Amino acid sequence: MMQKYLFIILGLFAVLSALMVVFEKNPVHSVLYLVLTFFAIAGEFVLLNAQFIAIVNVIVYAGAIMVLFLFVIMLLNLNKETEPHKALWMKFGAVVTGGLLLLVLVSTLKVADNAEVNPMNTNIGAIRQLGTVLFGQFLLPFEVSAVLFLAAMVGTVMLSKKDIK
Amino acid sequence: MNTLIILSALGVITLFAEIFRFRKALFPIILIGLAGAFAATAFEYCDNPQPIFNMMIFDKYGVAFSCSLIIICFLWFMMARNYFLQETSVTDHFALILFALVGAVVMVSYSNLVMLFLGIEILSISVYVLAASDKASILSNEAGFKYFLMGSFASGFLLFGITLIYGATGSFDLMAIQHYAAASNSSTGILTIGVLLMLTGLAFKCSLAPFHFWAPDVYDGAPTTVTAFMASLVKTAAFGALFRLFYTCFAGISGQWTSVLWWFATLTLFIGNVSALRQFSVKRMLAYSSIAHAGYIAIAIVSMSVTSAQAILYYTLSYSIATITAFTVLYIVERNTGRNDFGAFEGMAKNNPFLALVTTIAMLSLAGIPPTAGFFGKYYIFMTALNSHNTQLVIIAVIAALIGVYYYFRVIISMYFKPEKSDIPASIGSLHQIVLFITTLLTILLGVFPDWVLRWI
Repeated sequence: MMQKYLFIILGLFAVLSALMVVFEKNPVHSVLYLVLTFFAIAGEFVLLNAQFIAIVNVIVYAGAIMVLFLFVIMLLNLNKETEPHKALWMKFGAVVTGGLLLLVLVSTLKVADNAEVNPMNTNIGAIRQLGTVLFGQFLLPFEVSAVLFLAAMVGTVMLSKKDIK
Repeated sequence: MNTLIILSALGVITLFAEIFRFRKALFPIILIGLAGAFAATAFEYCDNPQPIFNMMIFDKYGVAFSCSLIIICFLWFMMARNYFLQETSVTDHFALILFALVGAVVMVSYSNLVMLFLGIEILSISVYVLAASDKASILSNEAGFKYFLMGSFASGFLLFGITLIYGATGSFDLMAIQHYAAASNSSTGILTIGVLLMLTGLAFKCSLAPFHFWAPDVYDGAPTTVTAFMASLVKTAAFGALFRLFYTCFAGISGQWTSVLWWFATLTLFIGNVSALRQFSVKRMLAYSSIAHAGYIAIAIVSMSVTSAQAILYYTLSYSIATITAFTVLYIVERNTGRNDFGAFEGMAKNNPFLALVTTIAMLSLAGIPPTAGFFGKYYIFMTALNSHNTQLVIIAVIAALIGVYYYFRVIISMYFKPEKSDIPASIGSLHQIVLFITTLLTILLGVFPDWVLRWI
């Protein structure tokens, strides 16, 4: 029972801080709220018995990517309220379309039959289990993702290096 | 499987060319490697294909589409060689193209949603970078950035769809999803919304309206050779993936998504064709025409009949070949006159009759005039739609095709009936001549012998 309440509270916290990311005018504050969102989601993962994903979420997103964001904001000197204002009809349209998507998603999730998952099943999120699946059943995608990373690296080098004449 | 290994190894070898200084020999190596990959793929063609790790399967559909993709890539390399000779970074461009081809092959022969996602990402990330590869041009930078933002957004939709489908069915495997969808006759909400989200994400990649907004700017801003790659190979792969997913898994619940795709197809046909009418630049016109062609292919997917796969394979191949011809000519015109509007084509018939002739045949094929391959492509699409009683859609598509004839003929009229002096040279590079000859020959031969392609699926 305790777990369930904790889950809901963390979920609300995640949604609220995600909203603050959007509403906050100062980009640095936005990024800091994003860190809070990631921590809240990491907490949810722990409650779902997915410790590995929780740790990766904190290290990669809250750690590496957030630092990258902050660096970009500092380097480009964006920490002023320089964001251009959108037209009112554009905001209105965005709210309507976003609201429609939310409505559709919520209404489908409401009628869906939610099968009970036992969160105490210790086999699901453990690292040992994850490794077995990754190097067994999902070996081919694991290898193919090497091509993906190689392509991304080649692309980064290509875009950032100076042309040699 | 051998195809993937050969293509990935070829990409890695290409990267080594800069270090070990065999950049001169690189081009023949790539062409030989692609021919080898083609042979390896064709060799896997059989009646009882074995799944690879339950992740990919080179069935007839996968083999036919992979072969088609490798042919397109081969022609593209011959077309683009001269462009990259002027650039300093040949190797990384070529490597990215080869990696994109790996992604495309994965996209048409997956049997697991994880592979679909990986394939799409490999292809997309390579093409994002290539779109921005002309670093001096601000339009190219804009194209790369816009494509990246919009593409990531689409990937988000796709991923959310995959998650919901996994939540509903408990599996990433196409066969398991198919069994689930076929068994549950009553619509389960999560599955439906997952299917629709995946449709949205893939429609982004195929540039189907109303998710086409990125396409004109990206196609216009990217270097012409890269635009040719996006309009031919990327589009073929995206439709190969879309059809494979929906035909294998969701044919049983077609009532839940065909009406959505019906509207996508109709909107795409009209927006693509009508917007193409109003363009001044041939490159932008070809971008809108590429959107319009996506609409025709979507008709075959809406129809969901046994001949749909054949129709899509034939249409994408004939369209891609004609597109490569058109972009090769556009590239030659752009390089010599520095412009890409309709006026730049004026007087081509007098200066270089060969170039004017191949352009005419490509335009006729794109417009769908017999005896070119483009006509039979449209014919098979329409027959497929009529067999599954989509008469309305066929009528709409015929009207759209008639609108299309106008802007393709504008190019022909500019070349033949406006005898102004122009900067188009009387002779072009021998490699370009060979490409144009091959593509034009294929356009006519495929039109005369459509069975060469159709019988493979």
